[in-house]
Amino acid sequence: MNQGPSSPSAPPVPQPDKGDSRRDFIWLTLGWLASLFALGASGFATLRSLVPNVLYEPSRRFKAGRPADYPDDTATFIEEVRLFIVRKGNAYRAMSGICPHLGCTVNATVGRYPYLCPCHGSHFDPDGAVMSGPSPRGLTWHAVTLSKDGRLVIDMDQAVTHDKTLVIQA
Amino acid sequence: MKSLKQIWLKFAGTRVGQSIFRVGLPESNLGRMQAMVSSFLLHLHPAKVHRHSLQFSSTLGLGLISLYLFLILCITGVALMFFYVPHPDHAYDNMKDIEFVVSAGMIARNMHRWSAHLMVLCVFLHMCRVFYTGGYKPPREFNWIVGVGLFVMTLVLSFTGYLLPWDQLAFWAITVGTNIAGYAPVVGKKIQFLLLGGNIVGESSLLRFYVLHVILLPAAAVFLIALHLWRVRKDGGLSRPDEPDVLVQQVETGQLATSKTYGLMELARGTSPAVGLKPEDEVPAWPHLVFRELLLFLATMVVVMFLSVFWNAPLEALANPAHPPNPAKAPWYFLGLQELTAYSAFWGGVAVPALLLVALVALPYLDRKRAGVGVWFARERRVAVTLFTICVVAAVILTVIGTYFRGPNWGWVWPWAASAVIPH
Repeated sequence: MNQGPSSPSAPPVPQPDKGDSRRDFIWLTLGWLASLFALGASGFATLRSLVPNVLYEPSRRFKAGRPADYPDDTATFIEEVRLFIVRKGNAYRAMSGICPHLGCTVNATVGRYPYLCPCHGSHFDPDGAVMSGPSPRGLTWHAVTLSKDGRLVIDMDQAVTHDKTLVIQA
Repeated sequence: MKSLKQIWLKFAGTRVGQSIFRVGLPESNLGRMQAMVSSFLLHLHPAKVHRHSLQFSSTLGLGLISLYLFLILCITGVALMFFYVPHPDHAYDNMKDIEFVVSAGMIARNMHRWSAHLMVLCVFLHMCRVFYTGGYKPPREFNWIVGVGLFVMTLVLSFTGYLLPWDQLAFWAITVGTNIAGYAPVVGKKIQFLLLGGNIVGESSLLRFYVLHVILLPAAAVFLIALHLWRVRKDGGLSRPDEPDVLVQQVETGQLATSKTYGLMELARGTSPAVGLKPEDEVPAWPHLVFRELLLFLATMVVVMFLSVFWNAPLEALANPAHPPNPAKAPWYFLGLQELTAYSAFWGGVAVPALLLVALVALPYLDRKRAGVGVWFARERRVAVTLFTICVVAAVILTVIGTYFRGPNWGWVWPWAASAVIPH
């Protein structure tokens, strides 16, 4: 039986146009994907490497002195952590000395607005509220607790309202 | 005694001399142009240059002076790198050593600091010059944008530079600067964290700013400078008034003037002024341009050396994270911005500078009429000139207020009052 080239059992005749376009499509797709991955991954890796995974910074929880170290009715500035420990009678509070505007340390003075920023001139009242100047909010108050060995502990990651106090019964 | 020229001619005539210079001291205009094209350093210049471009009053030499200051900064900066370790424990001591232990260290540091101040001034004045003479008009729109990029680069380079001594100025500038970045919308806090390399200003922050200052930003600046100069050449040299008769002739015949003495690759296309050049308006760059450039370089060096010998660069007390100086003032060129941030950190530190930058970049695409190019304060450009002048005057007023009228706690003081604090 004679089988012509068009017979179904004959090996398929290659179709150059169709085959090429499929091959082109695969190669183009692979090429684009590989190129985008190479550029994207190297760019991301470079940028990501600059974001630190470990910070060698001082702890945000700070152990200050004993309550009795801070005289009544004063605000004592602690340089290492740039904050004030404010005592009124038996009530202890901790107020950040960092201006929320652009991060300068405020100066403590006497007067109606005892905290002044030397960089851009914000004025704060004794409760840390903004009285004038560009600061978008008042000075931050931090939570104060007492440690087992009888010292004040300030948690600078924990913000509280200015009327929240640690009262220590004498 | 033989003259310097004779000695040079004798050397240039030897086998060694010929192998280096290829052409002797040029005697004809053709030789002068060959000298420009065949020398590595000189080939950056055109072979011939328009008389208008050579006039000092056309440019005041401000772009070239900025370039020279950048070169002085690169050389003195590398010299300073030999004596500096970017770590909070060493940086300030290194500065003291550079000033009082290293031979001529004080001069190198003074040259670096005063050149930086002068460069900020010259780049700003150069931008004003280009604006007032309409130098950004077609076909030079894109080169204006490259110039805006170089202006920003100059400011960022000086900012990252004065952080390195780790004195009070450095510490509080880096604190305020990175906090300003934190006010940028959406990505602000991430950028701040990335710049500092953490949450506080510390050793990783200093190292980051050091790498930016000595490698990344100078490399970017060199690239932009190269692009800027190359575009000046390709856009047909410096901007200058149109020469209507030649332009009309060219449009009518569709051909270039036949008396051209240089190849087609020297010409820019379109309506750029190079097309309308008449040969009699041009002179060989050697010696007219080269001589003026050398003269300007020497003048720049004289001014920088004079300042550096008689005035020492400021160095404040060692950085103290607990207490900023009162008032804490930036260098003079940022005091206008500091005055603005004293009203609002977001508007003064982020929005106004960003809007100004957008306006500068958009300017050549908004103001496209070619009238008044190459003329100072052209009458046809009254509106543009007035608007730009208002911005410049506002910047100057803010800077003057920040410099002379701000005292302790950024309060208002009169400059002659005892409590006035006027920075270096």
